[in-house]
Amino acid sequence: MRPILSIATTTVGEAIRRRVLLIILLIGLLFMFVAPGLGVLSARSETTVLRGMMLGIIQLTSAVIAIVLTVYMIPNEIERRTIYTILSKPVQRWQFLLGKYLGAVLALGLMMALMSVVLIVVFILQPGGTRDFALIADLLKAPAMYFVQMSLLAAVAIFFSTFVAPLVNFFLAGGMFLLGSLFNPFFQTLQENPNTPAGAKLFAGLVNTILPNFANYNVQNPIINPTQVIQNEGRYYIEVTMYGVIYIGILLVIGILVFDRREV
Amino acid sequence: MKRSGASTLLAVIAVLLIAQGALQRAVVFPFWSKNYNSSGGKVNSAMDPQQMLFALLGFRELLAGILWVRADAFFDTGNYDAILPLIRLVTILDPQEIDVYATGMWHIGYNFTDEEQRSDRRYIPSALALGKEGAEKNPDTYEMFFETGWMWWHKVDDDYDKSVHWFKESQKRADILPARKDILVQALQRDGKVEEALDTLFRLQDDGIARRERDPSHGADQTLNTVVSNLDSTLVRMVQRGLIAEEQGRPITGYDVSPPFDVGFSAKVTVLEPMVLRVEGTWNVLPVGTRVRFILRDIDYPHAIPGGMVWDFSDDVNLDPPRDKTYMMDQLFVKNRRFNRKVDMSKDPTMYPFTSDKYLLEFYYNPRSAPAHIQDKFGWNGEGMTDKNYLNTDVRKGQKVVYCSFEVTRDQLLRHGEWQDKVPLIKTPNFVERKGSYQGKDEVTLDIPSLRGGGATAPSPKTPVTPKPGRPLTMPGN
Amino acid sequence: MAAAIETKQLTKSYKSRVAGKINVVDNLDLHVEEGEIFGFLGPNGAGKTTTIKMLLGIIYPSSGEGYVLGKEIGDMEVHKIISYLPERPYYYEHMTGPEILRFYGSLFGISDEAKFQGLLEKVNLHRDTTKTIAQYSKGMQQRIGLAQSLINDPRLLFLDEPTGGLDPIAHREIRDLILGFRDEGRTVFISSHELSEVELICDRVAIIDKGVIGRQGKLTELLKGGRIEITVGGVEESLLKGLNLLDTNIRTIPTGFLLDVPEEQDPNSVIDAVRAKGGKIVSVVPRKKRLEDLFVETVTNKPAIGVPS
Repeated sequence: MRPILSIATTTVGEAIRRRVLLIILLIGLLFMFVAPGLGVLSARSETTVLRGMMLGIIQLTSAVIAIVLTVYMIPNEIERRTIYTILSKPVQRWQFLLGKYLGAVLALGLMMALMSVVLIVVFILQPGGTRDFALIADLLKAPAMYFVQMSLLAAVAIFFSTFVAPLVNFFLAGGMFLLGSLFNPFFQTLQENPNTPAGAKLFAGLVNTILPNFANYNVQNPIINPTQVIQNEGRYYIEVTMYGVIYIGILLVIGILVFDRREV
Repeated sequence: MKRSGASTLLAVIAVLLIAQGALQRAVVFPFWSKNYNSSGGKVNSAMDPQQMLFALLGFRELLAGILWVRADAFFDTGNYDAILPLIRLVTILDPQEIDVYATGMWHIGYNFTDEEQRSDRRYIPSALALGKEGAEKNPDTYEMFFETGWMWWHKVDDDYDKSVHWFKESQKRADILPARKDILVQALQRDGKVEEALDTLFRLQDDGIARRERDPSHGADQTLNTVVSNLDSTLVRMVQRGLIAEEQGRPITGYDVSPPFDVGFSAKVTVLEPMVLRVEGTWNVLPVGTRVRFILRDIDYPHAIPGGMVWDFSDDVNLDPPRDKTYMMDQLFVKNRRFNRKVDMSKDPTMYPFTSDKYLLEFYYNPRSAPAHIQDKFGWNGEGMTDKNYLNTDVRKGQKVVYCSFEVTRDQLLRHGEWQDKVPLIKTPNFVERKGSYQGKDEVTLDIPSLRGGGATAPSPKTPVTPKPGRPLTMPGN
Repeated sequence: MAAAIETKQLTKSYKSRVAGKINVVDNLDLHVEEGEIFGFLGPNGAGKTTTIKMLLGIIYPSSGEGYVLGKEIGDMEVHKIISYLPERPYYYEHMTGPEILRFYGSLFGISDEAKFQGLLEKVNLHRDTTKTIAQYSKGMQQRIGLAQSLINDPRLLFLDEPTGGLDPIAHREIRDLILGFRDEGRTVFISSHELSEVELICDRVAIIDKGVIGRQGKLTELLKGGRIEITVGGVEESLLKGLNLLDTNIRTIPTGFLLDVPEEQDPNSVIDAVRAKGGKIVSVVPRKKRLEDLFVETVTNKPAIGVPS
């Protein structure tokens, strides 16, 4: 366990100093600060648009960070040859991969926490800002779910990084994220359409079963537009987190199997 | 890794795969699609992160298209608030989407209404600014110029020089449909520029003849027929309303417009309940078609002018009009020389926030907006109209309008404070109370004796009207 | 003495679409004694790093076997008592020297600050504890590398091009450190193509080229076979040919002839014989065999100048 934690903390230290990540984060934060100024987009729906935009910025920034952070993680270690100094010590490959992954998730968590703080600050400081802390707590449900989502995305990227080049991985993981984000609604449309052929339904069902469904974590709609009360929402959060953890487990185990056989 | 270890791991993977699949299909997905899916129409969001990603990747037009489809769904469900940001985004992403500009403008101008279908006038400047922006971004086609002109013409229904400007601009564009050219003539007439309207009609007639020679289709024929018919009636009206006589230096007495007719305006406003008004009054014009504008607004409403607003005070498309201000505008329909309307503003707190202390009640009548059969008496510019008490030539330079205003307080409107038990009653000094309601049971039946005549006095509602010969109470009926 | 490293027909092959199967390391038989400094020499791409990676279990042999400190390669136990310093590694740049040592120490479960301090002193970095790796010079980076490789008191160190890219002073510092390792009883396996360095510190060497070992043995033995060059004037070539000078090589030079006499032959007999024929001895220069000669010989499969194969 000790080597895993050491590798994880070192990875965090490295990640939070990577310029490209900091730039992405900075752009995200900048957008969050200027978002309330985009008055053209807000109508009488008051903070609806602001909420939607802010959460969107957090999600998008986190996704880009998650991918950029993880696709280069293993290749960088190999290129800098630090992986050899580590693997020649009594460190198993699975420990190395797990440590790297945990480090990525921790770094992501830190950056997302920072964005969430900015989210709160902007909401309190904006003109006519809220002091309603129940509302703020409600707002924070989305970033919390995004964190699970991004952890899953990081697992996808780190899984691919055990056997493809970073650039390919960037598009693979990014594509997977888009697909996984869009498939749920698509699948629902298919299912609700009585004209869908049975074969297509079956196939779509299969894909929906196998695909990492990132859309599961897109819980922002009722938060942006608090018009409906959702029963058992807490339970859903637990279930969907479980789903994420299981899926991350699958990706990491396969990743370890591949990485174990890989010549670095 | 040892082979046995690997096969254990493979088994673990298989179990986990089944577990996640089951969780996804049995638990997560049904819950998600019920509560969180945005395409279900139950909820809305401005823009999904995925859509934002598309935008960032440069698929602006594609995204604009997707958003517009989405906005369409909101139209279906009546979720109008959700459409505004989408419209703004689409126009920003793809300024060549004329349909979005046009629809957006119409949506902003017409769709925000209260429970009694009164438009939210606070949005009109936004609609006009959007139209202007659309025209500027698409200067090669007539459409946005025409649409903006239409908004001035139909929705503002007051500053006709603005609609004339925009309709003229639209006619400069080659792609304007011939049938859409006539409206400029109407706007010119309402703007008091009858001569120019006539010139335009002659020009349109020449154009129409030339067009029919090139293309002897049914459409060309019809368009020309309309122009000829409009030209015909305009000439007749110019004669009837004494314009030709005036031009030729002949006295215009004997025409309908002379001497001016006193409309005998009086009004009374009662605050029945908080934010519920009863507006009553007299308007001594018998034929239907009179609509008196009734406004209740913050006394310091930004850019307000008597009887209206500087509607194009800003070129910024501000979709967030003064939310804490009130601007209510309604039309009082005159029937049997009286108007009587209940104005209920209590159901729409977002439209009528009533946060200020002082308000202004306004009555405004501009004869330029009157239908042709009333203008036959009043003339294009109100030459044939007068009012003993409230005729006003200041609030609209060079025009004769009827205008009167009262200051009221928030306490009166909300029935707060000292007004909790007293019923606020505001009226013009000349308002004469009638017992009971005239509607239905107490209607006054009138004969219409003559086509010609001078001014009239408001009849006492109690006494049956017995007009003297040659002195008609009102204008010719329709 | 037990073998620190022993390989038998260790082979690593890759499949290439163009060239088919390529043996990067081909039936390698290595033998490294414990306590010695072993030089593993070869040109770039000869298979040196591949061999080390196989010995460390980072890549897997295609065939053959290998043992490190008595354990089969890939055994995690052995990782506790060996260490590896790759060629010019880039450590985590944001860390300071002590942080690097703490990190690598934690991989062994070592958190002995006194030990880290001692190691920093040993590599002369104890005065730069606040500098990050990004601020280190190349020599300092290599020294912190050596320090990290000593964290677990390894019995066997693999050093891949330890002096590559360093200036002469840094060379010397590293060289002294490595010699110190031997004095501490550690086995050092150095892969290098800088022969002058290796010649100065190694006990035994192996020369590898295209995955095959050309020479292997004690440096003193491999470098046997130096020669003596005797320049001769004032004598006919035919007369010299008639002298029957055994292994002596005769070349014509502008001032006369150059006689290349093997070290083990007595040069006096040659000198005497030349003189007897009336020749004049211009100069006698002993030429010691150097590692470079041996290397070139092995790699080009041709004798170095003047040395018969």
